[in-house]
Amino acid sequence: MTSVRTGRLSPAAWAGVSLTLIVLLLAPVIFSDFFYGVLLTRALWLGLVAMSVIFLASYGGMVSLAQVGLFGVAGFTMANLVAADGGLPAEIDPWLAVIAGLVAAVVVGLIFGAIAARSEGIYFLMITLAFGVMVFYFFGQVTQLSGHGGVNNIEVPSIIGDRVTDPAPLYYICLGVSAIAFLGVRYLARTPFGLSLQGIRDDPTRMRALGYHVTLHRMVAFGFAALIAAAAGILSVWYNRRIGPGSVNLGEVIDVLVIAVIGGLYRLQGAWVGAVAFVLLDNYSRSWTPDIGTVLGPDRFNTLLGLIFLAIVLVSPGGLVGLWERARDWLRAQFGRQAARDGPGGPPRAGPGGEEGDPGPVAAADRPTA
Amino acid sequence: MAVNRLPRPRSLAEMRASWRLSTGAVVMGAIACLVAGWLITKAAGDFGLFVTVTINGLTLAALFFVVASGFTLIFGLMRTINMAHGSLYLLGGYIAFELQASWFADEPEGLDISIGQSAGDTEYGLLGWVVPLLIAALAMGLLGILIHQTLLRWNQGQELRQALITIAIVIILADQMLAHFGGIARDIKTPTSWPGSVEIPLASGGIGFIRIVVLGVALLVGASLWAMIKKTRFGLITRAGVDDRDMVSALGINIPLVFAGAFFIGAFLAGLGGVLGGTMLSLQPGEDTRLLLTSLVVVIIGGMGSLGGAAVGALALGLVQAYAGAFLRFGDTDLTNYAILLTFGLVVAVLAVRPHGLFGRPA
Amino acid sequence: MTERNQRRRWRKVLLVAALVPLVALFIGACGGDDDNGDDEAAENGEASSEPVRIGFLSTCEGAFGAFYEPTAGGFNVPLINRGATAVSEVPTDGIEGGEIAGRPIEVVGYGCSDETPDVAVEEARRLVEQEDADVLIGPLSGDEGIAIANYAKEQPDKTFINGASGAQDTTLHVQAPNFFRFHTDGAQWSAGVGDYAHNELGWDTAVTIGDDYSFPYTSVGGFIADFCGVGGDVVERLWPPLGESDYTSFIAQIPDNVDGIYVGIGGEGLIAFIQQYLDQKGQINPDEMIGNLFVDDPLVLEEIGNRVIGVTTSGNTAGDSTDPEVEEYVAQIDAVYPEVAELAASVFVYHYYTAVEAMAQAIEEVDGNLEDADAFHEALSNIELSGVDAAYGDVTLDENRQAISDNYIKQVVEGPDGPTVQTIARIPGVEQSFGGVFTSETPPPDRQNPPCEEVDLPWEGQSEPVDFSE
Repeated sequence: MTSVRTGRLSPAAWAGVSLTLIVLLLAPVIFSDFFYGVLLTRALWLGLVAMSVIFLASYGGMVSLAQVGLFGVAGFTMANLVAADGGLPAEIDPWLAVIAGLVAAVVVGLIFGAIAARSEGIYFLMITLAFGVMVFYFFGQVTQLSGHGGVNNIEVPSIIGDRVTDPAPLYYICLGVSAIAFLGVRYLARTPFGLSLQGIRDDPTRMRALGYHVTLHRMVAFGFAALIAAAAGILSVWYNRRIGPGSVNLGEVIDVLVIAVIGGLYRLQGAWVGAVAFVLLDNYSRSWTPDIGTVLGPDRFNTLLGLIFLAIVLVSPGGLVGLWERARDWLRAQFGRQAARDGPGGPPRAGPGGEEGDPGPVAAADRPTA
Repeated sequence: MAVNRLPRPRSLAEMRASWRLSTGAVVMGAIACLVAGWLITKAAGDFGLFVTVTINGLTLAALFFVVASGFTLIFGLMRTINMAHGSLYLLGGYIAFELQASWFADEPEGLDISIGQSAGDTEYGLLGWVVPLLIAALAMGLLGILIHQTLLRWNQGQELRQALITIAIVIILADQMLAHFGGIARDIKTPTSWPGSVEIPLASGGIGFIRIVVLGVALLVGASLWAMIKKTRFGLITRAGVDDRDMVSALGINIPLVFAGAFFIGAFLAGLGGVLGGTMLSLQPGEDTRLLLTSLVVVIIGGMGSLGGAAVGALALGLVQAYAGAFLRFGDTDLTNYAILLTFGLVVAVLAVRPHGLFGRPA
Repeated sequence: MTERNQRRRWRKVLLVAALVPLVALFIGACGGDDDNGDDEAAENGEASSEPVRIGFLSTCEGAFGAFYEPTAGGFNVPLINRGATAVSEVPTDGIEGGEIAGRPIEVVGYGCSDETPDVAVEEARRLVEQEDADVLIGPLSGDEGIAIANYAKEQPDKTFINGASGAQDTTLHVQAPNFFRFHTDGAQWSAGVGDYAHNELGWDTAVTIGDDYSFPYTSVGGFIADFCGVGGDVVERLWPPLGESDYTSFIAQIPDNVDGIYVGIGGEGLIAFIQQYLDQKGQINPDEMIGNLFVDDPLVLEEIGNRVIGVTTSGNTAGDSTDPEVEEYVAQIDAVYPEVAELAASVFVYHYYTAVEAMAQAIEEVDGNLEDADAFHEALSNIELSGVDAAYGDVTLDENRQAISDNYIKQVVEGPDGPTVQTIARIPGVEQSFGGVFTSETPPPDRQNPPCEEVDLPWEGQSEPVDFSE
């Protein structure tokens, strides 16, 4: 059973965190419009969905593939309620529609959670996959709400303005929401609910014996993850100005899973690391993939993505963040005998953007052992 | 693959669960009665149509069973979710298609192959279907062993990791198949000696003969699997391995070999299903994920690791799809395009009552 | 902590502190070179040596992935006609050189989507915002077109010309002032065939079947507007869900006593559908079946051609045409991409060809000045394609920048090399609204729309019999 460790960052970690923050805050100045307005913004909301997956995986011990579906429920609800081409004829205030979208996704999330929470491990994975696909078919076939063509030309709040001429407002909103979500989850992990959730992750039988309502905890965690995914859904609709079944299809579900795993399934910040890596790969691989016969080439960027994903799963189950931590530990071992100094508790875990208090890898068959 | 066990006293949780089961069972029973009533009305309205649709549903279920049985076998024994099962299905189908077109096409003289393989007037003997079928299924079985030995054997027990590895394989295989076989739909041809369409008594319209063949193959597969599991030594070891792998190993039995064998059979069945589906339906990008989802739904409904469950799940799915496609009309309202959605509703309904499927057992 | 360890820690801090901004600057440099280029060109105004940047967007995944290279071939050839050379036999390897109105041609990228609108828009963004394309040609499939047309509204200074996507809404409802479509839409591809069914084949009643998504809605909608317009009655509309490859339940619902069936199934499902139809009904009576343009597409004919001999179909290309313009058009493609030339009559190749040809002519019209977007768009609106530039029928644009062109009624016949297509009639000057059935106020085609009503079809009785076999 893991315990909460006090948050103490090493100076190296502080440097890393602050530099990352500075770069992110000054992105509109440092980078081109396309890079921060299209690539980084997309990476931010994709990372947010991925974080909802990672939250459930690392704190709840459940790998859910339904997050993209919940992301879609929020997005479609909002899209239908504001002025747009397609969907319902309702035209309400965009901010009210946002609230409606969040509420709808959380409600659906709680329902899914209630059904799925009684399953564990691989069953849970399969059931949530079925849920995610169900959302895709639902919106694909109910033409009053979307249909195959989706909902286009969606009205966005005036604060966002025109994404093409000035991408900064949307970028900062995505950055802000991501930061709030990240800090919110970190805070949640220390609350009694968060602690009991982690306990349930580690040993549900014992927790049940102690009188905790395991299913209810899982259900609520699912609802909370739904809220995060819903926020990402809203942001994605503002970014795309459209939403359709293609936004929540099986390909998207797998992409989000790939992002979470590449980043690091047990570190919250891995969500954004994975998302940035994915977006950069997706964008640049279309022009830069080397040609190897008919097997590889610019059209075959999916093969490249699959190979990278496979490599990461085989080599470093902790994803890129896990790779970083191993490299850092190895470097540390080279530079000095910190391990001997710090004693059997292990060195304080730290990394760029990271902080102690993250649940470390737990010794169960599935957890990545660093 | 239910194993005989000594009954043990029921825990409080189990007693509560069974009580929940009975309320759930009441609700399910009510729904089942409504559905039966609705079907009876439709049957009374047009019996010939009803028979046609039922047979189509049964034959579709047969295809689903062949594919899902491999999936559930691998899971039941090794606790491995082989997400690449659908990809093996599609690849097997494509391989059979290529073999058929290159080895067995007897073309009437003068046919110029203009673009790719021309499917125009070629004729095929019985061997032209059976040989590609066997080779493709065998190839998939061997590929399955390869995947298992190189990528899955050493992380046995890490279910999530195995699921992720197989997902990576799906992504890579799907892209490569698109590159090599193209995006256009392909159709495996039946032997020319087979009738195209057969008349079934009482049915309005004919049924494709290939569908009857698929039904036959499914029954054969089901019987063989059952016999293998119940009667052979391999099946005995399999059942024991499901229960207690370490003990079986300690008894000196080569468990890794058993696993490899089981993976071979599972992948073989996927490839076999691919050839059947490629003949009965078609082969195109997207069928891999569709059949994976189908297997998933069948196995969720029926319970993972249960062969009988796979049969029940396949029947449920096939029939629901067929009936919904034809009969989901109430007066003037046409809801038939929600057929696929209904099948997922079925999944949710089953799960709400039995979280491990109808015949499943908790891990 | 000891002195030595403290120093060690600070060494590490400095190392990290040095690396991170370097990485950031590196990324910034890579990302940051895009927004400088245009200002100089804007100052020049007139024909500069700045290249004309063209983006290409098509589909390389999914069912239409097979058409990726053919569409690229159709795209390249008008540029090759203006002095460019093909890098290789593979169209997406690109072209080099060439000039339009004195400005060099630069193809900034061959974009690839997977038929989902989201990916299409992402690719469009990459080509237009990152690679700074002036004109984007694409996309290929129906729903993508609507999304791109909406995206076009966000980029009023850029120009978007449709590739091959046939959804009606793209021009009729979205009406983006900088989005142009130089070919007819999916409904227009059914023009005249309803008239033919009612008056030539003698159909009074019909059943339609199509997949439950926008392209079949459009092509079936066109048939219904045409057939009902001349007095026919559509008794039933069947809509199998998209993603269903087992059509048998729906085939079973086709009543035996209708005069004919209109098959609006999209290319993916058509092969399975025909096979299952044969299995269940035993045979296809060619006088009782009409299909949409997928039936006679060369790649589909290859798979099912011999089973649909005699079936009528329609579309805006005539594969068997012997007109000298058509032969010249095919020869142009054959000179560079022989494999694509075999598919020259496919709507995918032809539509990309006409799109690029129209773009090039408009650029020549404004002497290469693309900075004045309004003038360029005005020039594009006035383009009229004829002769070899639009070998299958002259093209003009209506007020929604939607093409008005010809349509052909065809039949699948047995040819010397296998199943092929024979054109039997031409309907000139088909416009998008079908005489007022489709306007920007009417609901877009869907499961119930358009309603089955008699209207005054502008082309009723206007079809000209055509026989290319002399």
